[in-house]
Amino acid sequence: MLPGDFPSIIPTKPNRKDMVRLGVLGITGLAGLALVVIILLFVISAWLGRPLSMFGYDEGPDQPIVFPHTTHVQELGLDCTFCHRNVTKGASATVPSVGLCMTCHTVVGDESAEIEKLRDYHAQSEPIDWVRVHRLPDHVRFNHQAHIQYFSEKNNILPSAVCATCHGDVGNMKKVRQVEPLKMGNCVDCHRDNNAPTDCTTCHY
Amino acid sequence: MKLTRRQFITGVGGGALGAVLAAACGVPEDELLMQSKVGMPEDVVTGLDNWYATIGNSYSTGEGLVVRVMEGRAKKIEGNVDYPINRGKHSARSEALLQDLYNPDRIKAPMARVGQRGEDNWEEIGWSDAMSRVAHQLEQIKDARKNREVVMVTNPSVSHAALVAERFISAYRGTKIGYETLENTNLRHVVKDLFDQDRLPDIDIENSDYVLSFGADFLNTWISPVRYMRGYGEFRQGGHHRGKLVHIDSRFSMTGANADELIYVEPGREGLLALSIAQVIIDEGLGDSNAAKELTGDGQIDVGQWAPDKVAEIVGVEADTIKHVAREFASKDHPVAFGGGLAGAHTNGKSNLTAIYSLNYLVGSLNSSGGLIFNPAPPTSDLQEVEDNLKIGSMSDWRDLVRDMEDGKVQALLIDGVDPAYGLPEAIGFKEATYNVPLIFSFANTINETSAMADLILPCNTVLEDWGTSVPMAGPGYQVVGFQQPVVRPFFEDRGEELGTKSTSDALMGIAANLEIDLGLEGSTFKEVVESGAKQLFELGRGSVKAGDFRAFWTGILQRGGWWDTTSIVSSIKPSVKQLPEKISDPEFTGPDGVKTFNLIPFSSSSLGEGENAHLPWMQSMPDPVTSATWQTWIEINIKTAEELDITEGDVIRVLSAQGTDKSSTEGINVLAYPHPAIPPGVVSIPIGQGHTHGGRYSKGRGANVMSILGSKLDEQTGSLAWAATKVKLEKVDEWKRLPKFENSKPDLARDSEHRIIKITPIKEKH
Amino acid sequence: MDGKKWGMVVDLDKCTGCQSCVVACQSENNIPINDEPLFNQRRAIEWIRVERYWEGEFPNIKARFIPVFCQQCDDAPCEPVCPVYATYHNSEGLNVQVYNRCVGTRFCANNCPYQVRFFNFWEPEWPESFHNQLNPDVTVRSRGIMEKCTFCVQRIRRTSRDAKKNGTSVEDGDRALNPACVNACPTGTLVFGDLNDSESNVAKLTESELHGDHGRGYHLMEDYGTNPSVIYLKKVDEDAELEEAHH
Repeated sequence: MLPGDFPSIIPTKPNRKDMVRLGVLGITGLAGLALVVIILLFVISAWLGRPLSMFGYDEGPDQPIVFPHTTHVQELGLDCTFCHRNVTKGASATVPSVGLCMTCHTVVGDESAEIEKLRDYHAQSEPIDWVRVHRLPDHVRFNHQAHIQYFSEKNNILPSAVCATCHGDVGNMKKVRQVEPLKMGNCVDCHRDNNAPTDCTTCHY
Repeated sequence: MKLTRRQFITGVGGGALGAVLAAACGVPEDELLMQSKVGMPEDVVTGLDNWYATIGNSYSTGEGLVVRVMEGRAKKIEGNVDYPINRGKHSARSEALLQDLYNPDRIKAPMARVGQRGEDNWEEIGWSDAMSRVAHQLEQIKDARKNREVVMVTNPSVSHAALVAERFISAYRGTKIGYETLENTNLRHVVKDLFDQDRLPDIDIENSDYVLSFGADFLNTWISPVRYMRGYGEFRQGGHHRGKLVHIDSRFSMTGANADELIYVEPGREGLLALSIAQVIIDEGLGDSNAAKELTGDGQIDVGQWAPDKVAEIVGVEADTIKHVAREFASKDHPVAFGGGLAGAHTNGKSNLTAIYSLNYLVGSLNSSGGLIFNPAPPTSDLQEVEDNLKIGSMSDWRDLVRDMEDGKVQALLIDGVDPAYGLPEAIGFKEATYNVPLIFSFANTINETSAMADLILPCNTVLEDWGTSVPMAGPGYQVVGFQQPVVRPFFEDRGEELGTKSTSDALMGIAANLEIDLGLEGSTFKEVVESGAKQLFELGRGSVKAGDFRAFWTGILQRGGWWDTTSIVSSIKPSVKQLPEKISDPEFTGPDGVKTFNLIPFSSSSLGEGENAHLPWMQSMPDPVTSATWQTWIEINIKTAEELDITEGDVIRVLSAQGTDKSSTEGINVLAYPHPAIPPGVVSIPIGQGHTHGGRYSKGRGANVMSILGSKLDEQTGSLAWAATKVKLEKVDEWKRLPKFENSKPDLARDSEHRIIKITPIKEKH
Repeated sequence: MDGKKWGMVVDLDKCTGCQSCVVACQSENNIPINDEPLFNQRRAIEWIRVERYWEGEFPNIKARFIPVFCQQCDDAPCEPVCPVYATYHNSEGLNVQVYNRCVGTRFCANNCPYQVRFFNFWEPEWPESFHNQLNPDVTVRSRGIMEKCTFCVQRIRRTSRDAKKNGTSVEDGDRALNPACVNACPTGTLVFGDLNDSESNVAKLTESELHGDHGRGYHLMEDYGTNPSVIYLKKVDEDAELEEAHH
């Protein structure tokens, strides 16, 4: 046979053995495809740092105590900084201590089972282990105070009005969920828009 | 298996995907938590730090420190800018107090001995049980009163902790002895006899222009190195002149390495050299002529016997060198001469130091700027009481104690944070004698050689968890009381009241309270005792902290880390001149006969100290300044001598002293050779600090303890251990081990003599 | 950012080789414990190290000490060789190592004439209780990452943030700004500050010692043309020959 000279392909009638082979191949192929899709979804959600919303996983995780931000913010009109009181002082916004909750809940909320849970924690002097919703990787240094200060000064608004920029309208959430992807792209875009430094050592050291 | 290109690429791709998946899943569980603490103190803000002032005890002269605390955890230590001793600077040893606090090998609860003494088997018991055991056993001894039954061995500090110990031990009519591994007994005697001073003077290096130091490694480990180094920084380029440092030594210490002129002297001849310098000054009429007259007893003493030409050979220094040093020393405005350490560690140690310190008379550098500055008495009656009763043991005291122990006279031994079983030469026989003591109680952080022999170990708080005060061993020339406060809660607090650690003073007070013995202290806790000390200072109405009421004063003292009064100086009247000694005796040595021997010079390690820091990995891994060696015990031996003996770096060398003849149990220690280009050929030098038979993961079974092979020659006048008077022979063991050192971790930066890394210039003064 | 250029002056005449800086750095920057095998493998990590050079022969021998750390070169040889831009020069004159970009090629360390870059050959490990001491402001580097002196950038960031918060400016010689080694150094060998601020101590020292007539200033291994931000001041020695002084 000369180079470039191909044997002609003559279609033949598939026999039974070929059909079985084809069937098995098809099924494994489908299963493989499904697996690839699952893995891809997994990778994508890992990449975005949160579960994909299209599957209804946009609810936010269950917490040890069902804490309704709606009640506290919408109905009672509490300011974010009333509980997250270090947000204007330091790097982390911090969740309030059990003691702080109890300043009100010693007397308020006798009818709720969830508040009984809180009182149990307090009575047994145990900390509450919340499930973290917003998490940045170890090599990122984010400082709440600096961002709150910048935006509240720039837009002449209260510190608590700044929170929604990254966290969404938490006051309207029954269960807190992550709204922004909080990937480096988010950070850098916003830093560029506001002429903030984009040097690596701003956040990475 | 044959791998095709395609399979390989598939494999790599799959592996990468797996890695991504693993990384996506691999967030540690605790990072997915966010905790609402039960309660947070007002001053604690997550992510913000607080700096609290306290005192560290890493040297005999404690450094004032500030500690960075975040959420109840100590993170970083720095010097306290206000504190007069170190003024914001700190030593590596102070830094390592963090690792003392968080040491994984700390004792977590009181422990009682199980089985035979020294077997190192323990069971945890509760604090109330432990304290009542001590109380009752001490009570029984008290009832069956004999002679010298209760002895407490402790740090030689002047502080309120020492006050509690002092009151406690006097309630039992026992004895309290301060323990120093490398004693300064001779120095204290000289300061007392020569200058009639009860405490060590400050050395005003900062304002000096010529420092003549004999044997004291003052930039590294001696008395108050951070203070001296701070002064040295100013002495170098800070002021108008650049001072000159002349160091006289028998080995190559870090101080010697920094000297402008290093003069090697024959071991034990420092005093003779000083007298020779004095002779030149007197003979040539360079110094204060009145002082010269008085020093020589109006010519009664024949200084001519010390003329450089006559003694040059004996001291091993050329006559011309002696002459030029003498002339330079006498011609400067603010020269100072001092010595200690090695110079006082011979059988003629006291005479050596007497001769050295006498030089200051000739140049008028006593109690004046740039010279020796005397220190006033402590400001309050509490601290004065401690100082009056302070007894710091010399080797003859330890010998007496061991004899009493052997004779069964010592009924109970209380060991407070020191480790004499490690630091005393084995020839003394301290460790064996402990078998004759019915009761041994030890206050300790980690198990060490001494606490391993105890019946009961009472775990104490570390420096950062405890209250306290500190009067520096060598003050800055005025009254200083440093205040130590707990910067964090005791680390084992969560183990409850019964377990965990306690302040030693609180434990002593608890033991006394157990039997309703009144210690005459104000308050029932150590914190209250410290507070009452502050009250005494408040009532003085002077000093660095001014406040209208005591609460404000107390807060002020804790914020600034102490109290001091810069006006409380010793009046500037010069002490009367004492005559020079008529003659100075020759140093004596013990050593094996009939073989080639070397003078063994042990030295305090810049990191491990005298063994007390061996459990701290930062200290173990800190390179020795000169050799850069870490983690092991090495022997410094002259590089040419090593060549002659066919010794190379890392060869295991057996170091044998003569004490095998009087104590057959000891045979010597194995150390790693370090051929040293700068140590004199007749001398070998070994750092103290390793060779622990007990202790934590970082110290146990590592290196060798040079103190164990020292002979027990004493100073002829004071009974102080002549720790540099041992001669040893070296045997090569057929073994090699790499000496862990930082040197050569990175290639030499200096490629050749043209490409100098360290450039030098002869410019003397900058304008 | 505000036109700063961080620099350091090292007065060799003051350095005693005491190693305070080394341990202070290990404490501040979460440097793994250098255990004995690491020294034997020559893989111990010391962002700042004190080198000791011998000069002469016994008995006329001198030991000379020099602290060596990242020189934060303006023309840094380590930067162009990084294939992933994990090391670059920032606007404040810092030579930055971005841990999350680093893939561990070690090209930069090979190209650094000062040998101040350190590779994490092993995963850093501490006993559990030592975790309490780790500095939360500094990333713990994992295995396979290159690391080096950062001039304690976490302190620079913290002080400039605090200054903004309080409406003040970063002060020269502020102890919260100084790197850990500078605060520790008992003799005051190390001086840190902004070279662009003519009032700062480093700028004044650079002016008088490096550009002045009889100054002692020089750059380490000047002939490489790396343009370091660290200025060394010559050791003073009466016995030194004059030619060397006017090198």
